[in-house]
Amino acid sequence: MVEPKHLRAALAGIVGLIGLAFPAAAADPDPLGTIRQRGSIAIGVKADYPLFGQLGADGRPEGMEIDLARDLARRLGVEARLVVVTSANRLQRLEDGTVDLVIATLGDTEQRREIVTMIEPNYYASGVNLMVPPDSRLHDWSELRGQKVCATQGAYFNRQLAERYLVDLQLFGNNRDARLAVRAGRCVGWAYDDTAIASDLATPEWAGWRMPLRSALVTPWALALPRAARDSQLRRAVEDVVAAWHRDGTLLRAERRWNIPQSDFLRRTNALWNEADSQGEPVCRRGANGRWPDDCRNRALLSSTEVTGLMRIGLVLKERYGIDLSVVYDSYDRSSFGMGLLRTLVLVLGSMLGALAAGIGAAVAIERRIPLLTPLLHGAVTVLRMTPPLLQIYVVFFGIGAWTVMRWGFAVDPMLAVLLCLSLYAGAAVAQALLEAAQVLAAQLPDFRLGAATLGRALHASRGPINGILVNIAKATGMASAVAVPELISSATSIMAERGNLAVMMNLLMATWFVIILGTVVLLNRAQLWLDRKPGRPRAVEA
Amino acid sequence: MDIRDLFDLLWTWTPYLAGGFAWNVAVSIAAMAMGTLLGAGLAYGRLSAQRGLAQSARGLTTVSRNLPTFVCLFYLAFLVPNEFTLLGVTLRVLPWVKASLALSIAVTGYISDTLGAALADHRRGRPEAMLLFLPSWMTYFLIIVMASSTASVIGVSEIVSRANTVIGATGRNDLMVWVYLYAMLWFLGFCWPLTRLMRAIQRRIRERSLMRPPHRGRPAGGLLGARQS
Repeated sequence: MVEPKHLRAALAGIVGLIGLAFPAAAADPDPLGTIRQRGSIAIGVKADYPLFGQLGADGRPEGMEIDLARDLARRLGVEARLVVVTSANRLQRLEDGTVDLVIATLGDTEQRREIVTMIEPNYYASGVNLMVPPDSRLHDWSELRGQKVCATQGAYFNRQLAERYLVDLQLFGNNRDARLAVRAGRCVGWAYDDTAIASDLATPEWAGWRMPLRSALVTPWALALPRAARDSQLRRAVEDVVAAWHRDGTLLRAERRWNIPQSDFLRRTNALWNEADSQGEPVCRRGANGRWPDDCRNRALLSSTEVTGLMRIGLVLKERYGIDLSVVYDSYDRSSFGMGLLRTLVLVLGSMLGALAAGIGAAVAIERRIPLLTPLLHGAVTVLRMTPPLLQIYVVFFGIGAWTVMRWGFAVDPMLAVLLCLSLYAGAAVAQALLEAAQVLAAQLPDFRLGAATLGRALHASRGPINGILVNIAKATGMASAVAVPELISSATSIMAERGNLAVMMNLLMATWFVIILGTVVLLNRAQLWLDRKPGRPRAVEA
Repeated sequence: MDIRDLFDLLWTWTPYLAGGFAWNVAVSIAAMAMGTLLGAGLAYGRLSAQRGLAQSARGLTTVSRNLPTFVCLFYLAFLVPNEFTLLGVTLRVLPWVKASLALSIAVTGYISDTLGAALADHRRGRPEAMLLFLPSWMTYFLIIVMASSTASVIGVSEIVSRANTVIGATGRNDLMVWVYLYAMLWFLGFCWPLTRLMRAIQRRIRERSLMRPPHRGRPAGGLLGARQS
């Protein structure tokens, strides 16, 4: 018979054994604990990416990412042990446990998220930019349509550049040849990764060369942990460190320290992570589910299960049917498209009213037969009608614009320049139509003369052509996009360049314009009915 | 810079710019050819006794009348592939072809309207209506020549785009206005004499047919600008 004392001891022993065995089977100790216990964290960094991760004179890695790696370790309270990795082996080193984490110019993509744990927020972003000679005047991607641009074979973004920006790519076998071709004047610039261009610009060989565009096809970079660390304390701790980097300007300082041209991305994230709501709490703080708010995350990689509302509807459309209506689910695209629409409506209404005013004024002035003024106006009407409005806009915007800057120190507002040119161009045609109508009326009524009293009659007689002129000038307002007015076409082309949803955006643009023009026609018909119904207005002049 | 330098410079670049203007004319001729064929089809369709046919021809005319050329330009530039393979032959679609197609959409609507009206008049026994169609076709051609300058925004190497190249190559911002004004002169020099000629022809036709100038809201004369792009 076993004594109860022994039984208790045996039971305690079994329970103890179970207790020891179970936690180990349920979960490995959190990697954060392991690192703290070890007193060091192994971080994979690159040594072949100048300014970001390169070999120093002492043969040890240095660069912006190495600074960040050391800072991360310090904030976690451990030593940093740097391990050099390459683009080819960085994910493998992470999975096989050689390193605990990588900071290695790693782009955050959907495919890679299946293999490793990406840290949000992203800490940097690279995109495609253009390296141009010192005398280049380029400053916007839209100026590159149809232009010869040098590029390096095999770069993943080449096809997208050609499709979304309509550039004529000249492909070269390696970076060196491509850059030499630019130097020889065979292309307007070399399109490549902006961080790589930044490294080149830092060397004396390319002194004076520039990177003038806003980076395109931007891919955010992320720190990465092994896949197993998905739900770990370490992930949370590292995420908090990166968030702190954005808030306290560590990233901006590290970038500056290595003379890397300031990236748009860091400037924006620094502002975003310091933004506070009405209660003074940071906008980017963890929610009840422990995640960052959607606005502080990488939007390109959000999925419909993670969000709610309009954003969810838009993402479901995108995931199920491949229709990427980003203007529905993305607040930035939505407001950009909305503002574009608003500007287009202002341009449409403004140029129609301007054309009527200019046309009536010119016709009445010409009919007064004032010496000098009348022939002058006649000449102006002819020149305005027989030169393309696009060239007129260029002359006013660049020519007169440059002059006012020199003379009075202010630039001509592009929207005003467009309104002025389109009003004058269509105004000339309106004047011509009114004068022709006046001629016909004068043949019927001997004492007819165009003036304030007879204007209504002349307008009525010429309403057909004037209607046509006004509709056409409404259609032509898209030209404003040629001088970088952010109207409907500009906003549509920039949204689709960023998202790649070419077909969706172009069809949406076309449909929107169709409705705008139909609306314009209806509006003009209403206005005419109203004019005809006004008392005292003569009825239709018989033909 | 003094005037002589300016003239020298413009003279040096004249062959290049003239080549660009030749593209404007070529693109416009292609657009007129395609648009006239399609528009004539629609005009005959509208007069057809078959209701379905007449209605769809009217619908298509409305659509082509209401689509801005500038937007069509972008639409075709981005959505028509740069090359495609047909029966084993790979064809490249160059930017100027896309520009011609975009411009031809506006031409289609215009031709459908004017030719339709002329045909109707002709059937009512007014033979001069068809004669008057010719000068208004010519007038619209000039409008398309001016509208072809917008092809520069999708990278067609026509005169406006070449003017930009010249300004870039000389690297001199003070020249900008003069180069643009010179390009304008090409349009003026091409359009003005032809407009005068067309007006004279129109007058002759009208005098011959002893009729007063028609004005049914869409007079054949004085259209320049009225139906731009």
